[in-house]
Amino acid sequence: MAVRVETADVPNGSTNAAPVPGNSHGRHTALTLFSPIRKRWTPVLRVAMWFGKWTPVAQNHILQFNFIHFVRWAVVRKLPYNGPPQERDVLNYPYLFFESNFDGPWRQYIDAFAYCIPGDIRFVWGRGIAFPGPPPAEPLKRWIAENSMEGGTFYSAYPEASTRAVLSALAVRDGLRKLVANADGLDADAFKARYEQFLTEVQVHL
Amino acid sequence: MGESRNRFGTAYALTVFTPILPGQTDEVRSIIEAVPRGEAGPFARLEQVHFTRLQIFDQLVYQGAPQKPDRLKSAYLVFTASFDGALDPFLDALCERIPAEADSWWSHCVGYPGTADRAAFKRYIQHNKVHTSLFGVAYPTASVADVRESLALRERVLDFAVAAQGLDAAALQERFRQTFAETR
Repeated sequence: MAVRVETADVPNGSTNAAPVPGNSHGRHTALTLFSPIRKRWTPVLRVAMWFGKWTPVAQNHILQFNFIHFVRWAVVRKLPYNGPPQERDVLNYPYLFFESNFDGPWRQYIDAFAYCIPGDIRFVWGRGIAFPGPPPAEPLKRWIAENSMEGGTFYSAYPEASTRAVLSALAVRDGLRKLVANADGLDADAFKARYEQFLTEVQVHL
Repeated sequence: MGESRNRFGTAYALTVFTPILPGQTDEVRSIIEAVPRGEAGPFARLEQVHFTRLQIFDQLVYQGAPQKPDRLKSAYLVFTASFDGALDPFLDALCERIPAEADSWWSHCVGYPGTADRAAFKRYIQHNKVHTSLFGVAYPTASVADVRESLALRERVLDFAVAAQGLDAAALQERFRQTFAETR
């Protein structure tokens, strides 16, 4: 389960690091961690995640970085049992399954987390065992390298589109639809004024 | 909370852990690592899928004392998908559009019934599903089609803006109507 390619001595955000098979598609990267949690911390984590799901402030906080497309956490207390010939696995700890789909190499992603929201990182993972609470980011990167699940395959439906590009494109689409809806019945000069207003509103997204 | 745990906006997060049959882990690894990506791959035939990943864990990382090591008796195939809509139609799409591929990796898992028995397949996925505790999406109400269409539309708007520079009001309005007539 340990990372097979990137090493801790690669400079932050270096493009020299070879892409990890199964971890990247186009400009998108998938990071998956599956790490033990201290039993007594699990109820706290569950409550925190409930607030994360149902309170808008917490949701905005989770998605404050504009390079994350999708992110999920799951607290796993037991592994599925399907009967023989499987032997039942009984875990000593609950585990936290984390998967994030984001733009660019994961070292930049971890830098952003380690330096911008170290408190959040320590809260979620800091009750895990042998977790190196950030900052600095390098011990955290080593910890992630040891805990990251590698290999397999990863697919993105729009592998060359960054999160920012997607959000911008959706904003342009919404603005254009509004312009089209309001354009009916306008004379040419009034339309031109509306069009120029539209361009002003969306130019940051073009 | 039920199924709401797995949703955010119109998106659904599916996480499935299935135990691999004894001695077949390497074969499953070879199969999933050979799955083509991009338009040639099976997941491109599932138009509701934003992201998906298949991987294996056959051991859990031991991080040193005071951790008591967890040693697995089985390897597990992990399937994650972020897609539009509800789980049931997604599982129908899996059975209809990529049955051979789905069977190629899950047939090496304990108790797998195959996609041919759709009801049993759905029960199997439900049984092995791990509920999401927290799910975040940057564009929670945008479908894959929305994203792709918007990206293409943005390029068209940009091209139009460049081409329309200097047009008088009447010509601008006419060209706009011709270019974006279908946009509502």
